[in-house]
Amino acid sequence: VIDQDAFVARRRTAWDELDALLGAGRDLHKLPPANISRAAALYRSVCSDLMRARAAGYDADVVRLLDALAARAHGALYRAPPHRVSALWDLVAREFPRTLRRHGRAFACATALMIVPAIVSFAGSRQSREFALQVLPEETAEQMEAVYADDMSRGRDEATDLAMAGFYVSNNVGIAFRCFSTGVLFGLGSVFFLVYNGLVFGAVAGLVSRAGHGRNLFTFVAGHGAFELTAIVVAATAGLVMGYALVATGGLTRWASLRRRAPDVARLVMGAALMLLVAAGIEGFWSPAGFPAPVKWSVAAALWVAVAAYLAFAGREARA
Amino acid sequence: VIGSAAEALDNTTDVETPERVRFRHHVAGPVRRGLAYLVDAVVRGGILLGIGVVITASTGSPRAKVSSSGLMLIVLFALEWVYFVALESALNGQTPGKRALGLRVVKTGGHPVTFIDCVLRNLLRGADFLPIGYVVGLASMAADRRFRRLGDRVAGTMVVIEDRPRALPALGFDAPPTDAELAALPGRLALRPDELDAIELFLRRRTLSAPRRRELAELIAPPLAARLGVVYDDPERLIAALFVRARGRGGRA
Repeated sequence: VIDQDAFVARRRTAWDELDALLGAGRDLHKLPPANISRAAALYRSVCSDLMRARAAGYDADVVRLLDALAARAHGALYRAPPHRVSALWDLVAREFPRTLRRHGRAFACATALMIVPAIVSFAGSRQSREFALQVLPEETAEQMEAVYADDMSRGRDEATDLAMAGFYVSNNVGIAFRCFSTGVLFGLGSVFFLVYNGLVFGAVAGLVSRAGHGRNLFTFVAGHGAFELTAIVVAATAGLVMGYALVATGGLTRWASLRRRAPDVARLVMGAALMLLVAAGIEGFWSPAGFPAPVKWSVAAALWVAVAAYLAFAGREARA
Repeated sequence: VIGSAAEALDNTTDVETPERVRFRHHVAGPVRRGLAYLVDAVVRGGILLGIGVVITASTGSPRAKVSSSGLMLIVLFALEWVYFVALESALNGQTPGKRALGLRVVKTGGHPVTFIDCVLRNLLRGADFLPIGYVVGLASMAADRRFRRLGDRVAGTMVVIEDRPRALPALGFDAPPTDAELAALPGRLALRPDELDAIELFLRRRTLSAPRRRELAELIAPPLAARLGVVYDDPERLIAALFVRARGRGGRA
């Protein structure tokens, strides 16, 4: 065992060299190859210095310096692999629909939790305006009745389209992410937001069709609804998966059980986010476009079939 | 000795690498992370303001004003949901705020974060924020050794302090203890190793001002002197003499 000061004096230059290499640029992999292998060699020597310093009982400042240096070098050398475009394609073409099918029961639950309240709320609001006002504020109710009095057959101008696309992105992605994230509270948040959004959608639809403009609303909504409503349900499915993992732990600790589901949850959420981007595009630019209702209905039907077929069949393995 | 003392602290966590090396991370607490969040909030506000000014300046007609409101909503959305995900995955677990405060997000195993980790931990801000001002996240952090909020627990990440300590002053004495001073000490010193470590840390803190060293020495010396039965005039000289007697002039033999 050598004297601490002699040890520091002898090893100091190596530490400073590694410190300089790490400080030079953020990305180690962009440095010349010689520097990278030098950094790796220095990292290993710092690791052994650290063990030595601990074993010899050198004082806390030395150990702390070496700890910090080793940790920084470790972070730089073991950096996560860079992102590949093909990973996005894998997600869209295979992983997302596969993962959703694996969690088919959670998806069915989420769907029911939104549709049943929506139907009840629709039926109730159609019968009486009072019912709808239990769910919606008076102001929103009047606004909805006014907005859908226009059948949009003339279309909107492009400026309004862009404004509305922006609104839909921020509003709907916000709703979907809330449905997802609050699921970590044992699934309760997801259940709440599914039921709540079901009630609101139902109330709006009921109210507007009570005012006699139901056709306008459904013609408008049918197209993007395929992506938007499905994506919100998918995001909530991810929330329910988290909640269920916290309850049914399969012998693991609660958090370990949740960690086991984390990759699936992430795929579901990213898939939902992509679907919402598509939905916002359709909602901002196609849904308000001035085409006759039959065209709108056919396109909407095609979109629903496409979404259902995608989720049901994409990424299936061929069976021998 | 140092190891067992540090394990008693609650803001460190050990990481074992594939090379079978263990090193210690210092986990960041809520205050430091909150400050980083504030810095990021300022940065995001600045970006929003900048883009807002550019858009407003470049649009004149009422129609353009309508469409620019849509653009602003998209920017707002990106700043709320995309900012953290994009920066943390691009800058290896850092945002401008985290960088300013010397923080970095890493996996609980010490590895760098992946894109998926960043997505999970940042989308779950929605739950951590509940009911207002990150109350749920703070509760989760309070209940965890590694100060993880819910998003961190799901993503398997933690936020560590990444500092670059530099100064390692060598052990030295302005006026080394004289032989007379050493001879005046009792033959056997009943000092524990951790007490000697503490004394060594004190002696190495030569960056402290003289009055501050004096003040610390006046706290350290009396209990030691009482226990060892030594009489002294100058607490600093007593401490130096005790150390040299126990460990030799170089600190370690």
